Amino acid sequence: MYIYLPIAEQPINAFIVLGIGWLVGIIMGMVGIGGGFLLTPLMIFFGIPSPVAVASVANQLVAPSVSGVLSHWKSGNVDFKMGTILLVGGVIGSSIGVLIFNILDAIGQLDLVIKLSYVVFLGIIGSLMFIESLKLIIQTKRGKATRGKLHQHNWLHGLPFKTRFRKSKLYISIILPLIIGVIVGILAALMGIGGGFIIVPAMIYLLGMPTSLVIGTSLFQIIFVAANTTILQASQNQTVDIFLALILLIGSVIGVQIGSRFSNLMKGEHLRLFLSLIILIVGFKLIFDLVTIPLDIFSISII
Amino acid sequence: MRTVIKNILLIIIIALNSFKVFAKDNLVTDLSESTVEISSTFSGADILLFGAYDGQKNDDIIVIVSGQKGNIKVDKKEKKFGIWMITESIKFSNIPKYYYIASNRKIEEITNKTEIKKRKLDLNSFELKDNKIDYDNLDKKWYEALKRNMKKKQFWKIEENSIKLNKNTLFRKTLSLPSNVSTGMYKVKILHYRKGNLISQEESKIKIDKTGISANIYNFAQNFSAIYGIIAVIIALFFGWFTNFIFRRI
Repeated sequence: MYIYLPIAEQPINAFIVLGIGWLVGIIMGMVGIGGGFLLTPLMIFFGIPSPVAVASVANQLVAPSVSGVLSHWKSGNVDFKMGTILLVGGVIGSSIGVLIFNILDAIGQLDLVIKLSYVVFLGIIGSLMFIESLKLIIQTKRGKATRGKLHQHNWLHGLPFKTRFRKSKLYISIILPLIIGVIVGILAALMGIGGGFIIVPAMIYLLGMPTSLVIGTSLFQIIFVAANTTILQASQNQTVDIFLALILLIGSVIGVQIGSRFSNLMKGEHLRLFLSLIILIVGFKLIFDLVTIPLDIFSISII
Repeated sequence: MRTVIKNILLIIIIALNSFKVFAKDNLVTDLSESTVEISSTFSGADILLFGAYDGQKNDDIIVIVSGQKGNIKVDKKEKKFGIWMITESIKFSNIPKYYYIASNRKIEEITNKTEIKKRKLDLNSFELKDNKIDYDNLDKKWYEALKRNMKKKQFWKIEENSIKLNKNTLFRKTLSLPSNVSTGMYKVKILHYRKGNLISQEESKIKIDKTGISANIYNFAQNFSAIYGIIAVIIALFFGWFTNFIFRRI
């Protein structure tokens, strides 16, 4: 069934997009990470203009985050105080991100920067995840799984504006979570991602938060970052395609629920190895498109 | 991939013999102004143009369909630091976003170069005007790139030898509009040539308009963009809550 996307201004096969959202949702649910970084490049491969893909994926991101927070909240796994500081940073960051987005659009390099950012991030995340999961698989085979110290004290704990986070059992400066929030916000606006793969390790290793609280808290802040990005992109660039976002989110929220139910079917490290391969393939495809000579070195856009 | 979902009849009746008031070679037309609606299931449209003309042996018919004029940017990519990036752009102003020419035989055989230029019977005769750009001294490759890409997207098209003439009185031609065709008033011109001279012409209009839910969404997103963004967020919030609500019960 073809649906004419009102903002992307092109028809699209709704079932295929729904299916992509669903599959990415399953992966999200099984591994427990956001799927924005897969959805956006897949939509670009599908022919959606990259600014529309980024903004619409940011829009759809609100839904799985809400649904995730609600279940984590029920189990008491959200640190709202930490989340609030992160989201303040996130809202500032996403506003900066949309500004950068506008500047890049004005100089005509937006498409390139979006693709390049994806190449860099997918490359880093994919290889890190690949190495880490491979190490784990080898270690489990040898039967000696080791784990580093979770909470280490370093110079970051010497920063001013210290405050107590009762839930996370932390007494740290608010500057660090604020900065983390800003970075994640910029990424959300520029790339249409929740930034879970950055914020989660940052919260564990930099802030020293208990692992159980990390996902719920990061999802809590992503809701606001994604919402702010959506509103800013819609009001400044008119790039949010509500149809595209809706099709993707219906697919992904169902996928997430199914995925999270089956997450114990496969071993975590095997799943992560599989995901890292997908990420690397998507990244390679993006690089390939950027370095191979285009069919026509000229392109047109009707303005 | 492209399915035809709309068939619109544009009936053009030219120079019926029964119209005695007119001299023999004049054209009389009866047009039905048509509207092509781009709805949420739009995937292109086929428009059937047909009509009758008072012709003689070896007469020719040319049909021109032209869309709204606008600006088209041509970007040139070059390899820099190993990747292909846009390094130069040229804007063409006041150029038709849609242009279609069909004829019963090669246009060069129908009429002479001056007439082709005057009536814009090819894709090289548009008047380019822009205060900032000197198109006359611009490298030809830019316009060629524009033409090539517009043809590839099917926004510009020439179909010579495609109009079927029947007994020097009837002609018909199907016009296929691509799914991402731009909106606006389209001019349809029918030119009747005899021995290279234009002996009569008729003009009509097709309105291409966005309708239905996708048009409303588009307009809303343009005019009330902040509210549109807020609604987009509320919808996503609702769906997030709703799925949690549903799946908690399963």
